[in-house]
Amino acid sequence: MMKMDLPPHVQAERRTYTVFFAILLLLVGLCTFHTGFNPFAPLLEHEAFWAFLSEDFFPPRIPLRAGRLGAIIDSLLVTFAMAFASATVAAVLAFLLALFASERVSPLPRLAPVVRGLATFARNIPALVWAFILFSSLGIGTGVGFVALCISSCAFMVRAFADTMEGVTQDSLESLQSVGATFPQRVIHGLLPACMGGFVSWFLYCVEVNIRASAVVGMVGGGGVGLVLFSYIKSFNYHVAFFIILLIGALVIAVDAITGWLRRELSR
Amino acid sequence: MILPTDTPARPERIRVGCARGNRLIPAFLCGTAGLALLCLLYLDLPWLRLASRVPDLGGVFWKLAHLDFTRWELILSALLETLCVALLSTFYGMLLGLFFGMFAADNVFRIRGLARTVQAFFTFLRAVPTPVWVLLMMVCLGMGPAAGIAGLCVHTTAFFTRAFAQSFEDIPAETLEALEATGVGRVGVFLNAVLPSALAPIVAWIGMRLEINFAECAILGMVGAGGIGFVVANGIQNYEYGMAGVAILLVFLLATAIERLFVLLRRRLR
Repeated sequence: MMKMDLPPHVQAERRTYTVFFAILLLLVGLCTFHTGFNPFAPLLEHEAFWAFLSEDFFPPRIPLRAGRLGAIIDSLLVTFAMAFASATVAAVLAFLLALFASERVSPLPRLAPVVRGLATFARNIPALVWAFILFSSLGIGTGVGFVALCISSCAFMVRAFADTMEGVTQDSLESLQSVGATFPQRVIHGLLPACMGGFVSWFLYCVEVNIRASAVVGMVGGGGVGLVLFSYIKSFNYHVAFFIILLIGALVIAVDAITGWLRRELSR
Repeated sequence: MILPTDTPARPERIRVGCARGNRLIPAFLCGTAGLALLCLLYLDLPWLRLASRVPDLGGVFWKLAHLDFTRWELILSALLETLCVALLSTFYGMLLGLFFGMFAADNVFRIRGLARTVQAFFTFLRAVPTPVWVLLMMVCLGMGPAAGIAGLCVHTTAFFTRAFAQSFEDIPAETLEALEATGVGRVGVFLNAVLPSALAPIVAWIGMRLEINFAECAILGMVGAGGIGFVVANGIQNYEYGMAGVAILLVFLLATAIERLFVLLRRRLR
């Protein structure tokens, strides 16, 4: 069989892939050695696993005692409200901050790297770490979960909004500036119409992420359905826990479906 | 000099209505604002109490900023464990994701209903947040990194299945038909045409997921599993803010490093 000579850029690409997967395998080997994790352990213990699934877990049980079901539904609504309200508040804040984070738009270009750096810092610290920092000063409760979600989603959206602003053409902004439009005028008449679609799309994505995050923040004391689920798991009441997991899944799928539909409709 | 004599007394308004503007967006914004207001009313947050405690927040940050390196061995070993769990769960999730992605893509096996069923199942797995899976795995497998890896794997597999299936479906049908015409079986087509052409997006997805898994791992310690999250949560609860500060800083630095690394890699592969 003849060996074909590949063009040099394809060869370089191949080398990169080979190196990447070789490093990946090496690291996986090192990690397996360090943690002593046997990938077949879950398979070897599959009897205990399936017994747990079939006896302790299935079928989901709806708690019938008075008030229990109502409390679960109520906590689910709290989780949704926390996620949606924090995403909206964060979007408004993020829009104002993003104006100063984009060098080409900001009236104070010197400040842009500072705002961006702060946003990167806040974004790379998970929402739950924020929740813990806030718990120690603000106390436990729905309010703190709300603030923690606000911080992490605001930091995320500052970056996304600023990138959207940089992505659209700057011609209209420049022409508005050349005829003497003030900064607010430039934003309202030049920037908003061009970027609104992108902003809305990122906002919807943030709502999706926040629904999951708010269930998790609830687990450590932020209130909502996470707290209820955590208490049922801790009290070994797995049938009800499974029912709550199904409810969370249904909520997330429903929100994803609605945001997906909205994104399609709004980008038309 | 010619003076414009026929200028109208009141200039007409120039119509600049944007033809592509979407009429739905104002309605959407109003709806969002209304719903958010309803949500805030439903939550009934204690604004005054929160606001009165904001000054304490400065104190906490001040204490966190006093980095305390005396227990660096504990912090580093926890960080290493977190990194290992993140990497291993991403790797096994990738293997499983490739396998199930094959079934979830329309254009690999072409069995009616199979792709739909697989997709629906993994959509549910993806919808449930990761810590829930880890908590359940901890019940089955006991404490330790194994529960973390297995629990993260559930969500990672579900994520990769969807992502890889999408990358597989993006491959033009002509490529597949060309191989089919030479009589290659379905697995042969997958290995020789689908997988190689989807490698670039696969590497990009792996990078994205490694970032997410690292952040998730940092979270897991807080719901009871080990790792760096446990150091952070424990440090804050026991008023050892200096130690927690170091741990948070390291999480931040590593997350940023992973992000940078994969941005560079993606640029190289483009």
